[in-house]
Amino acid sequence: MSIAPAELSRTEIAEDTALDPPWITLVWNDPVNLMSYVTYVFQTYFGYSREKSEKLMLDVHQKGRAVVSNGPRETMERDTEALQGYGLWATFQKDE
Amino acid sequence: MAKAFKRKGNRFVARLDDVEREVVVGLLQQTQEFLAPVHREPTGDTFDDLVATLGVRPLDDPEITPQAPPDPALERLLPTANLDDPAIAAEFRRLTEGGLRERKSDNLAMAIAALLAAEDDKVRLDHAQAQAMVVALTDVRLLLGERLGLRTDDDADALQDRLEAASEDDPQLYLAAYYDFMTWLQESLTQALMS
Repeated sequence: MSIAPAELSRTEIAEDTALDPPWITLVWNDPVNLMSYVTYVFQTYFGYSREKSEKLMLDVHQKGRAVVSNGPRETMERDTEALQGYGLWATFQKDE
Repeated sequence: MAKAFKRKGNRFVARLDDVEREVVVGLLQQTQEFLAPVHREPTGDTFDDLVATLGVRPLDDPEITPQAPPDPALERLLPTANLDDPAIAAEFRRLTEGGLRERKSDNLAMAIAALLAAEDDKVRLDHAQAQAMVVALTDVRLLLGERLGLRTDDDADALQDRLEAASEDDPQLYLAAYYDFMTWLQESLTQALMS
């Protein structure tokens, strides 16, 4: 299974911590969450555009998962916690 | 007859009669009970008590579940957050589980209060209430979905067929009908929030 790379939108964070190994937040497909709701969460929490949010949602739906953010570990933990708060199946891991 | 959520100015309005509101409130309450933060007696140790109020479990807490929690529905609501390293996943759970349970529980309480405040069968939500409601409906559906054994997209697609094929005394029929109703409500509220 392939992962569509999410666009970098946190370059200012990535630059500051260029020496740290990058981490990613993943959202996994599940049979319950609505396509509209997943798009809504990406727009609301990350502030991503409607277009980008829909593309990420479709990646989750069709490919089984998508990288929704990347950066230092603490930021990915925060994103994962927030997305789990919204009821999405979110995990974080080292970007390998 | 229920009417789905629509945006009216800066309010989100649905029409639900007594019975429908009772069903939704009942499901929200059950989900809240399921997620209720574990109540802790004060330990006498000031630092441990302070940490507990922050939703962080002390390191030597016997209730720490280093692996995923036993009920699969709990794993859906509070999923294992790192699939590579059980130690990282356990640490994340220790630091976040209490807070997540508390926030979800607060959300559900806000949604319940909004439904109980309905007048003339109209549920009127401001933006903050609508946000709490749409998340609360997600948690209800995650719990119901798990109880209905929805594991794949195909399971979810087949739910309608199951609904039609079920005999009247099949307890799953009620769950499936409630799930369907919650889905319909949540879809309308999501669309209204995005419009």
